[in-house]
Amino acid sequence: MNGTQLKNNVKLSSKYLDVTYINNKTGTEVIALQNINLDIKEGEFICIVGPSGCGKTTFLNTVAGLLKPSRGTISLDNQEVDGPGKDRAMVFQTPSLFPWRTVMANVLYGIEVQKRVSNETKKKAQDYISMVGLKGYEHHYPHELSGGMQQRVNLARALTVDPSLLLLDEPFSALDAQTREFMQEELLRIWSETKKTSLFITHQIDEAIYLADRVFVFGARPGRVVDIVDINIPRPRDLNIKRDPKFLHLIDHIWSIIEKESAKQGFQ
Amino acid sequence: MHKNEVVQLSSNLSKGNLKKIGNRNRGLILSILSVVLFIVVWEVVSRNEWIDPLFISSPLAIAQAAVIMVQEPTFWQNMRVSGYEFGVGFLLAMVIGIPVGVFSGWNKTFNALVNPFISGLYVTPKVTLLPVIIIAFGIGPGSKIVIVFLMAFFPIVMNAQKAMHTLDQNLIKAARTFTANELQIFKMIALPSTVPFLLTGIRLGIGQGLIAVVVGELFASSAGIGFQLTNDGQNLQTDRMFVGVFVITLTGVILTTLLGIVEKHFSSWKPEKN
Repeated sequence: MNGTQLKNNVKLSSKYLDVTYINNKTGTEVIALQNINLDIKEGEFICIVGPSGCGKTTFLNTVAGLLKPSRGTISLDNQEVDGPGKDRAMVFQTPSLFPWRTVMANVLYGIEVQKRVSNETKKKAQDYISMVGLKGYEHHYPHELSGGMQQRVNLARALTVDPSLLLLDEPFSALDAQTREFMQEELLRIWSETKKTSLFITHQIDEAIYLADRVFVFGARPGRVVDIVDINIPRPRDLNIKRDPKFLHLIDHIWSIIEKESAKQGFQ
Repeated sequence: MHKNEVVQLSSNLSKGNLKKIGNRNRGLILSILSVVLFIVVWEVVSRNEWIDPLFISSPLAIAQAAVIMVQEPTFWQNMRVSGYEFGVGFLLAMVIGIPVGVFSGWNKTFNALVNPFISGLYVTPKVTLLPVIIIAFGIGPGSKIVIVFLMAFFPIVMNAQKAMHTLDQNLIKAARTFTANELQIFKMIALPSTVPFLLTGIRLGIGQGLIAVVVGELFASSAGIGFQLTNDGQNLQTDRMFVGVFVITLTGVILTTLLGIVEKHFSSWKPEKN
């Protein structure tokens, strides 16, 4: 009884996952991810941090179903992931909005692809546009919006298909520092309203700690999980906690893990 | 005093706007002045016979010839013939060129099959095929339709292909995560992306098609603006010949202006230049 409950509580599970690919130029096999074992619980906000080349984006793409595992499995709600699905939606690093579609039409894109356009889903799109703070911009085109606003559309588009798992691939990395911090705070507000299980990739340690319930630290060459750090900072969190000694301590802690990892690789 | 007014004005309007309005008017005025000056100089040069009027006619003589010509039934007959030849040839170029370009850009197999011909014929001066086209299709409208088609086809095909080769891969990735299938990606990403490129292809095609009509008619024909132009030239009626030239120029200007309107309608999503 207890065992099944615990099992049901697991949203996403990666078991013995390897992802390898053939380098186009050299023709050699590259191990992008090696033996990834992790579980993400229902409603959790997980961040993955790690140096470039640690395979964090590869992992996200595999969860999204864009890449196939070479070994092992990824399962979502106890179902093995085999290609993209309606239960997942992704927020991209570049906004990837359709330039010929208005904000509203962009937000409805996923719904249209999945042939679920109805008054109900249209209302939902409107609700998410309001939630991300773009009420009044429904009929604007992407080029009329700032980078931060475009990323809000990107987020609203993903939320509107009502995924059970939200995948975020460094969505704020192209924004300026101030906008980025503001968007982090906004994301937490939206997350607390939707309670979607979220998997967020970043290379910024403070961003990861601020957002996450748990931070998975990835190491490079081959990409693998080197540590899992629990973030026991109560919610709701405002940006001031970034100056809290506990927060700074967590940054130091994750830095030291990454540094140790790099030293092992001889990158120092 | 004057300076003060300007300062006040620019504090009311934004500086950029003021500059824009000023530039636009200034540009238009300069363009009109330039054309007027050209016509005046032309008239003067011709009147004083600094250059033989047989070669250059004169603006006034051309205007008089135009007034007479628009009253001749043969002029309108010639317009109809040329319009028909251009219209049918150009329509064929679009109807065949757009799908061929789009599909060869999208599908690698189809591309491998047709691309040798497209790349090869693209660089072939199509005019060199005229003698054989006329043997095959006669001196009537048929041969002109074929040459218009051939000359307008390639800019349209090449631009459609280019559109498919420059698709935004980020958009395709986004579509895939939303479980879009190939057909949906084609309809919802590939096709809309081609619009600006197709319009460029059509614009270039219009220019090529107009050249084709005239050259085709110059070469061998019994009617059409190009035919009239040749006759008038051979009869040393330079004024009438120039009317023919202007008619063709005007057609090109009208068609590209119409295309510009279509372009504006389709690309309201594109960032404005300037």
